[in-house]
Amino acid sequence: MKNKSRRFVLTDILYIAMMIVPVIIGIVIKTMTRPVGDGVSITGAQVYFKIPMPIQDLIISESQINSLIVMISVFGLCLYLTHGLKTRNISKRQHLAEWIIEKTDNMVSSNMGEFFISFSPFIIAMLALSGFSSLLTLLGLYAPTSDLNIVGGWAILVFILITYYKFKCGPLQYMKSFAEPVALLAPMNIISEIATPVSMAFRHYGNVLSGSVISVLIAYALGNLSNLLLGFLPGVLGDIPFLRIGIPAVLSIYFDVFSGLLQAYIFAMLTMMYVSGGFPSDLYFKRKNRKIKN
Amino acid sequence: MQNLDVISINIWDTLISLANLIILYLIVKKFLYKPVKNVLKARQNEIESQYNNAENAEKKANESREQWEKMLSGANSKSDEIIKNATDTAKMRSETIVNEAKERAQGIVRQAEQEAILERKKATDGIKKEIVEVSSALTSKLLEREINKDDHRTLIDEFIEEIGESYE
Repeated sequence: MKNKSRRFVLTDILYIAMMIVPVIIGIVIKTMTRPVGDGVSITGAQVYFKIPMPIQDLIISESQINSLIVMISVFGLCLYLTHGLKTRNISKRQHLAEWIIEKTDNMVSSNMGEFFISFSPFIIAMLALSGFSSLLTLLGLYAPTSDLNIVGGWAILVFILITYYKFKCGPLQYMKSFAEPVALLAPMNIISEIATPVSMAFRHYGNVLSGSVISVLIAYALGNLSNLLLGFLPGVLGDIPFLRIGIPAVLSIYFDVFSGLLQAYIFAMLTMMYVSGGFPSDLYFKRKNRKIKN
Repeated sequence: MQNLDVISINIWDTLISLANLIILYLIVKKFLYKPVKNVLKARQNEIESQYNNAENAEKKANESREQWEKMLSGANSKSDEIIKNATDTAKMRSETIVNEAKERAQGIVRQAEQEAILERKKATDGIKKEIVEVSSALTSKLLEREINKDDHRTLIDEFIEEIGESYE
């Protein structure tokens, strides 16, 4: 293990750089473009530039750049974890990679059944993208998950998947599923069908956004409180917001780390539930068996 | 620089984010899921092949052990047979030896008996001869002398004495 080849170590360094450099670039862009201003301002993502498109302008904002950063970092992480896979005498990173795969496989097969085991990489991607996006707030970057468009896109993808699996038994069966248990409830069923992606998107987006809003408010409040209590200190000492040291970090463990990861987990869980719940598995397997017999 | 509103909806941004998730799914599938799965499968295969090898080796070992045991038991029965044969031949030989000895002894005894009978015959023949001689002598004496009572007695006594002497 000690005698890794030079090439191996260099590739490792490259992969680690692939994980870290995008984040650093993001921080640099953020610090360079942040408008100088005091006070609390709760706004959406910063807009870098707009590209004219039909219907609406394509806005390249902080959230787009940051999700790109997360994607490149996750790509680097994937490459790093799978670098130098062996069948025996495995390294720690391979342990981690196998642990991730086994855990998600277990989660997917217990929540969705063996039929949906191909969803495993999708769930990993979703957890990684959502989780790391939320965690970007720890570095002072704008979390893409607190942008409705980003989470909305994921929710729409999930909606497409749900509908695709509902269509597996033919369009007639799909139509029939709305008239259950009685045809009178069809409008309600349609509303709940549309409500699924909307509620998913708003739940995730709202939780992360509210977390960062509360973090900003608390930091601001603590700064003022510090001025009020310790403002009598002479000179520069009075200007330093001492209460801002430490306390916001502790709170951000809940609002940024815990809440963000929890929302990622909930989003993945709901995806699995909705996709496997909407799929008429009994009918599908019955028809499949009949086909095999014929 | 302007900021977006807190709630803003943009179709293109939404679509890009949707595409991002798909792209990341493909990346994860190609660069994390597949390689790890392949390695797990390879390990499974390796373990299975090793198990098979171990089973084969065990089977072989068992076979050779059985062979050895068979050979060993064969050797045992063979040695038993040899010993049995040896004891049988020894018994037979000893019996024949004993029988021969017995026969010989009987022969010797018979010979001895015959010899004894012969001796006896010889002896009786001698006695008879003597008796004849004595009686002839007695008759000759009787014929020489007149016979009275006393003479008679002494004659008989003499005769007996003579017989006794001749017997001794």
